[in-house]
Amino acid sequence: MLAIDARDVAKTFRSGVFRRRETVALAGVSLGVPRGAIFGLLGPNGAGKTTLLSIFATLLLPDRGSITILGHDVLREASALRRRLNMASGNASFVWAMKPDEILDFYGRLYGLSGATLRRRVDELIEMCELTAHRRVRYNELSTGLKQRLALAKALVNEPELLFLDEPTLGLDPDVSVRLREHIARLRRERGMTIVLTTHYMREAEQLCDEIAFIKSGRVLARGTAAELKRQIRIGDVVALRLDPPDAPWLTDMAGVLRCVTSNGRIECTVDDAEKRLPEILAAIAAEGAVVRDIQVREPELEEVFVELAR
Amino acid sequence: MSWRVEGRWRTEVIAVTAFARRNLQMALRNVFLLFELLFWPVVGVLGIGLMARFLELSPEATSFILIGQIAFSTVSVCQLDVAYAVLYDVWSKSVKHQFLAPIGVRHLTTGAWLVGILRSLVVFTMLSAVAWWAFGFDALHAGVGPLAVFLAGCSLTAWAVSVLVCTLIMLLGAKAETAAWASVNFVLTLAGIYYSVAVLPKPVAALAAAIPLTYFLDAYRAHYGFPAEFARPILIGGALALLYVGLSHWAFVAAVRSARRSGLLLKMSE
Repeated sequence: MLAIDARDVAKTFRSGVFRRRETVALAGVSLGVPRGAIFGLLGPNGAGKTTLLSIFATLLLPDRGSITILGHDVLREASALRRRLNMASGNASFVWAMKPDEILDFYGRLYGLSGATLRRRVDELIEMCELTAHRRVRYNELSTGLKQRLALAKALVNEPELLFLDEPTLGLDPDVSVRLREHIARLRRERGMTIVLTTHYMREAEQLCDEIAFIKSGRVLARGTAAELKRQIRIGDVVALRLDPPDAPWLTDMAGVLRCVTSNGRIECTVDDAEKRLPEILAAIAAEGAVVRDIQVREPELEEVFVELAR
Repeated sequence: MSWRVEGRWRTEVIAVTAFARRNLQMALRNVFLLFELLFWPVVGVLGIGLMARFLELSPEATSFILIGQIAFSTVSVCQLDVAYAVLYDVWSKSVKHQFLAPIGVRHLTTGAWLVGILRSLVVFTMLSAVAWWAFGFDALHAGVGPLAVFLAGCSLTAWAVSVLVCTLIMLLGAKAETAAWASVNFVLTLAGIYYSVAVLPKPVAALAAAIPLTYFLDAYRAHYGFPAEFARPILIGGALALLYVGLSHWAFVAAVRSARRSGLLLKMSE
């Protein structure tokens, strides 16, 4: 069962009065997101990720295409849909003079909560997002991490079935990012929430997402699990070596070796097929009279897939 | 007596109170509130009243222009509250959050308008007291009924003007924010703030005749000895005000839709 079923979604931004400029943000994106999944949208800056997320969240109208979210048509049943979804972005902002509990109270009311239910909900979110000590501090006095946590709390105020997170850990300290990721994983685990997130951090995508779509220039170039993407893109395996003597420039000339990078005395060779090339590499090292001090074979990082696709 | 508003109506009321509460919270925190509520309105009434004394105007003529000045502050404060409901979010780049929620523009404008009415009543009471103390102007001379109708006319005019300001902001972004302060001056100049609309050039007088406040000022001033220039001014003024409130809301809804199409809604949140 799909939470999001988008077909051929297109969006072009037009600007300028006298000199009309057109920027194609989405050029026919089709995407299905299963219910209860954490789905990642990856891509370089300007790829169309935020545009797609904003269209799904009913903040932006598409020029073309059909989108059904949680069984609602995004264009015709936007109001009913808005009750069931919410969104948080890494660069979210709220009215500066308001305090976290007032902000949550305000948005809670916009979703129809009031009285004891609203008070309970606000307290729950404040506690869950570790904002208790800051609930009476003005928004403009909060740190980036606290602002981000407040944005997440606000996005959970209506207990959405579908949550959009646009760069949720952008600019956060590593320890805060880790805790926020744990929060996100728990939301799906404990509440069965469907989560669609955009991120620049490959580790985040790899850790959190069941499935990833890679977007570039308004098109989906590839989609699948992190492992599937690595296989699909076929950028090869990585053989990491520590040799004595440490330099082996001749490795790049070997058959099946796509490239080699040396750093801190460690050589990382990307080969088309590790199973086939490893014996050949070891034989060549022996023939050169070098000694292998350490060797590791691994799949490429998602980041390397990203670089390959963004190229 | 306990009361319950069920289902859809309950949600409507809650969403309206959300905006009303927020405007109240912000108003209490806004240092400019003192200037908006106390300083400028009082300075305005004192300035106009003293000018009338210097020009040795009759008590009736003094009442005439003081009514205009008090109406100006009353409408201005009320309409600013509704404009603020959008401007707070524009200034803090948080516009998208409220349009992500399942609310309509009516909730935003009604909630903010209710607080605007409250603030404008405070301003009206205070200015009437100052005008009575300094210049002997009696705001209750016309009686409670006509005064209530006049204040209702001021509030409805403020509502229509402010929703149009919100529409402009939603169409043009933050650069339209000056409209929040400029629009009310423009409307009141046309509506005959310190003078009878009969002195306006014909094309401008035609514009004045399309403004509801013109009729409410005319009806209220009639109680101070000035012959009414329009027949059935309250009926026409009320009908025009309701028409404009409806039209301005329609325009605001269309502007939000346009902002969703053009991406301005997101741009105002970046």
